[in-house]
Amino acid sequence: MEPLTWFGAYAGFFGSFLAVFATLAVLAGLCSMLLALTDSSPRGSFSLFNGIAVVTLLLVGIGYIYNALSPSLSGGMELAALGKILLGLLALGVFAAMLGVFMKTFFDNPAETMGSLFALMLKLIGLTAVAWLGYTLLFAGAGFRDTLASMDPAALPTGEELAQQKRIATMQGRGILASIFMRFLPVWIALGLLFALSMAYKRKLGLYGKLFDNAIGIFGFFLVMFWVFTALFNGLFDMIATHGPLDQLSGMKNKVPGTPLRDISEGAYPFYLLGGDNLARDVFSRMVTGSVIVVMIAPLATLFAFMVGITLGLPAGYFSGPALRKGSLGMIATGVVFGLATLAALVWGGLANFLMLAVILGMLFVLMFRASLDTVLSFLANLILAFPVILLFYLLVTPEIVETGLPQYMAIVLFIFPIVFAGVLISSRFQTDPGKNRFWLMVVLIPMAVLYAVTINAPDSQINLLGPLDFFNPAPGVLVVFVSVVFVNSPTVFRIVRGLALDIHSRDYVAAAQTRGEGPWYIMLWEILPNARGPLIVDFCLRIGYTTILLGTLGFFGLGLPPESPDWGSTINEGRKLLSIYAHPALPPAFALLTLVLGLNLLADGLREESLKD
Amino acid sequence: MAKIQYDGPILEIDKLSISFFTRLREIPAVMDFSVKVAPGEAVGLVGESGCGKSTVALGVMRDLGKNGHIVGGSIKFKGRDMASMSADELRDIRGNEIAMIYQEPMASLNPAMKIGRQLMEVPMIHEGVSEEEAYNRALEVVTDVKLPDPARMLSSYPHQLSGGQQQRIVIAMALMSKPSLLILDEPTTALDVTVEAAVVELVKDLGKKYGTSMLFISHNLGLVLETCDRICVMYSGEAVERGDIKEVFNNMQHPYTQALFRSIPLPGADKNARPLVAIPGNFPLPHERPKGCNFGPRCDYFEEGRCDQGFVPMAAADETGSHETRCLKFTEIDWKAPLIAAETKTKGEIGEVVLSMQNLKKYYEVAANALFGGGEKRVVKANETLSFEARESETLAIVGESGCGKSTFAKVLMGLETATDGQILLDGQGIGNTPIEKRDTKTVADVQMVFQNPFDTLNPSMTVGRQIIRALEIFDIGNSDAERRERMLKLLDLVKLPRAFADRMPRQLSGGQKQRVGIARAFAGDARIVVADEPVSALDVSVQAAVTDLLMEIQREHKTTLLFISHDLSIVRYLSDRVMVMYLGHVVELGTTDEVFSPPYHPYTEALLSAVPIADTSIEKQHIVLEGDIPSAMNPPSGCPFQTRCRWKSEVPGGLCDSEIPPVKDMGNGHQIKCHLSNEILKKMDPVIKIAAE
Repeated sequence: MEPLTWFGAYAGFFGSFLAVFATLAVLAGLCSMLLALTDSSPRGSFSLFNGIAVVTLLLVGIGYIYNALSPSLSGGMELAALGKILLGLLALGVFAAMLGVFMKTFFDNPAETMGSLFALMLKLIGLTAVAWLGYTLLFAGAGFRDTLASMDPAALPTGEELAQQKRIATMQGRGILASIFMRFLPVWIALGLLFALSMAYKRKLGLYGKLFDNAIGIFGFFLVMFWVFTALFNGLFDMIATHGPLDQLSGMKNKVPGTPLRDISEGAYPFYLLGGDNLARDVFSRMVTGSVIVVMIAPLATLFAFMVGITLGLPAGYFSGPALRKGSLGMIATGVVFGLATLAALVWGGLANFLMLAVILGMLFVLMFRASLDTVLSFLANLILAFPVILLFYLLVTPEIVETGLPQYMAIVLFIFPIVFAGVLISSRFQTDPGKNRFWLMVVLIPMAVLYAVTINAPDSQINLLGPLDFFNPAPGVLVVFVSVVFVNSPTVFRIVRGLALDIHSRDYVAAAQTRGEGPWYIMLWEILPNARGPLIVDFCLRIGYTTILLGTLGFFGLGLPPESPDWGSTINEGRKLLSIYAHPALPPAFALLTLVLGLNLLADGLREESLKD
Repeated sequence: MAKIQYDGPILEIDKLSISFFTRLREIPAVMDFSVKVAPGEAVGLVGESGCGKSTVALGVMRDLGKNGHIVGGSIKFKGRDMASMSADELRDIRGNEIAMIYQEPMASLNPAMKIGRQLMEVPMIHEGVSEEEAYNRALEVVTDVKLPDPARMLSSYPHQLSGGQQQRIVIAMALMSKPSLLILDEPTTALDVTVEAAVVELVKDLGKKYGTSMLFISHNLGLVLETCDRICVMYSGEAVERGDIKEVFNNMQHPYTQALFRSIPLPGADKNARPLVAIPGNFPLPHERPKGCNFGPRCDYFEEGRCDQGFVPMAAADETGSHETRCLKFTEIDWKAPLIAAETKTKGEIGEVVLSMQNLKKYYEVAANALFGGGEKRVVKANETLSFEARESETLAIVGESGCGKSTFAKVLMGLETATDGQILLDGQGIGNTPIEKRDTKTVADVQMVFQNPFDTLNPSMTVGRQIIRALEIFDIGNSDAERRERMLKLLDLVKLPRAFADRMPRQLSGGQKQRVGIARAFAGDARIVVADEPVSALDVSVQAAVTDLLMEIQREHKTTLLFISHDLSIVRYLSDRVMVMYLGHVVELGTTDEVFSPPYHPYTEALLSAVPIADTSIEKQHIVLEGDIPSAMNPPSGCPFQTRCRWKSEVPGGLCDSEIPPVKDMGNGHQIKCHLSNEILKKMDPVIKIAAE
């Protein structure tokens, strides 16, 4: 069976157009870049960096086109070919420079003229790509009809075989890219619906609606939602991926993209779209499945980090004066909590742990009578931030440490914050109406407490109090990764929230709330927090991006998640080992990680820009 | 860079139109605006916020940003059309020929650069002089702006100077290159009154000395009267009246100018007999301007079918053509017709003593090192032996500049801080040492506050109705949500806001409307004592009158005791029954309004009265300018707090002012003055404000 080509059956026709446009684009881009350099006027539409970025991008693009057009090279590009391309580009550059000098006599502002020519070429390239995609998708089956016509009617295979052959031929007509496009069809439909609805009602949707006024924001949101939908369809309906993430098929080890399966079982997808990795698993399916892990853990971990950061940052920014006063309720509460913690350490952790904890907490307790809450908490936050993150992770996920239950103890502390947050949020709001207060507290806190209990409880570990009642256990390693990510992220969130609280604290509406006798938590959560939401939302988006990278880093170091996990970091690490021989297993997850983080950053940018308007 | 020699008018703006372009539409900010500035002349540009006066200034500087464009007319500087100048030529003119002084001095100075460097930059860039010469010139200019110890000033950073000193430095910087035109955009709005008076005085003197022309942008009519030769009144992007300053003030020819004057409290206005007249309606948004005369919908003389028919041109209002007005009916209006008071309101009967302060003291301890508690501790004496009484339905004004302790006093009264010493009695019960969380709901609801900044007083992420309902919930008023909502709507009625505002977000409201919501919230629990902390100072003149009247009306109805904190003596004189003047934590004078506003004065009161600009040409003011700044409360002067700036100090024998805090003197009738001056000298004082014989 023929392997898939990148661009399918109609690449030749469109490819020649593409080659012409791309050459012109490179020429115009180089020209305008050089002109803008020589003529230092601010009107030159292309800065040096823009130019370099464009050229690099085109270089990669040309490499791919070259790859696709030359049938002799299946997949990998020879280094010699790259050298030739570079030489060609250099020659083009020299030519462009000469052309630029020549053009100065003809045009008022040749840099701008060339810039617009470049932009025009980019548009033409885009149009050609769309035309190619449309044509390929529409006429992919045409080749099979010819084959069918030429076949001997007597020797026609059975209907099922025929259907299978037709399917394979259609796919071959499409090529790899168009086939991948078709695999993502549910995602495209969902994205189309979402964007159409959002655009139609954008005036009524507040900040989210305003995002659709901003090109950067739209693009970022598009990228993010692409992966969210991919994760949803794959995780819930098992739709996008072509094979199982752990399926190993014989003969597919390190095979290049588009390789057909050796023997196609009933209904199985007949190709490895993006090739196979060194254990003969489908790279495309692993990338798609990996998105589920990333899209689930990253936002949730970030949310938890925000809960911790907010719950600690607000009082740090709000209260001035010593953290504890002699005989105050706070002193008693802190004393009890600290005492219980040391006692717990004595019972379960042994003498050494007990002594260590007792000394640390004792010092902290004494310190809190002198220093403000802000000073104490900021000091602790700095302590965590000063510690090398990767080292901390190594420490946390070492099996010996996991066995002592440390991650679980940390989970006990860190996961309590959302409950505290929700509880305080509700009770400060309904403080004047005890009936409502009790009702909402029960509705919200009971499910949260149950979830909390079953999450931190795990069979065969230090904390196993629930026994058979424990109905939910996160996948192995997930809790550890989750706790580490929350632990590392929360100090930064804490500092942001604290700064915002300090700022908003001086507003008159806070003073107004104080003068009508509101409690401190009401002021923090209902007067200060909602007005700090702008920067927090932006930071939330950015931080999901960081967390995604952090997850990637963790996976890359083989920390936390099991080695066969398809998450992007682990797969990049797997692929890295054979990168110089087979580049294709490492690139798709890397590209996926890049687009998601890029999308989150652009989304944050767009949100920031739009929230500043008005 | 040589200066351009030119004899004609320095600046000629002719039919200038400026628009801002947004994604949705074009927003015209300035339309058909013309003004001429002759050499050595000061022209005032007056109008409410949003009328386009700052846009004109930015248009002159060609600094309109990305989406602002000049869509018509021309700006000629020394006879040259600025539109035809290149970017390089404009750069040379800015800072060299035209200098600008902005409102916020701290924002105009680079905080990371020493003052001297910043000043020296100007001639070094524009004239290429040597460093040494630039330094000498900087020294000279800093001496000119009357800063003490110029050499030290040059080697300090902006944050080491006070606001007044910073603004002087900004002025010095503007004068470094001896510009032909100085644009001042609300140069004193951020400063205290006495500092403002000194800065204005300085600008006037320097203008004379350097022969600089000035374009003075301000919302304060009194300030413009004191500084300018000619005036141009703007409304909603247009100049509505233009002319010689005396001519415009005494013989106004446009209904807007007239309405503006009627809405500011001048000496002689009285809250009961002659209340202020607020301009009805709201300032039109730039894209919702009416057809015809922009002021039409708010004008008393509006005539349908005539005033709303199309463009209204500027017309000469006198023979020489120097006084112009943009009104179709100015010849028909009887400008001398006396204002008919809508209704004379009876003053509320002043009742029992509600609140009484006895020797209230509030000290703060500032430790040098928070974590380890080391270092010396310093005591800031924010309030020093405050004693006074406030009665039912009385307005007690508390006057003083920033740092005088009025906000601290308010905090102690509200219970946000506890008093260091002394008593606050509310209905005979001591509350001075009870923090707010220990006060019962009734006490909390009784003492409420109206805040200064309308843009800050409401929580931006909660609807107006929700905020008032929350206050009702906290004060335990109403038994159900429906009942509270009904009461909230009634409160909106009380402050004369439409009920539909309940579901609006604060950002959809104008400044005055927000302030009304703030007042409604304060009165949610039927407050008996309301502390109003400069409730109108951040509002536009025409809105100020309406909000002030509202406060007075609610006071009359509810018999509220109003503690009115303000630095604006005109409004204090207009509405208060008694006045308390504070300086550096001390009450320096206390008495009825008439007593405080007429001699004998405390020397500080005298200076304060003199500093307030009054927009009335018939007023003669004694001219007293205080030297220096208010001392820091961290490091108050020994003896009398005011002795460092007092002009009467030499009249006290034996250097008593330096060594002893003066005793409180009773001048009869409860009029108290805290001063060492003997009664004879106090009695000899001349009144600061005199209404000249007509």
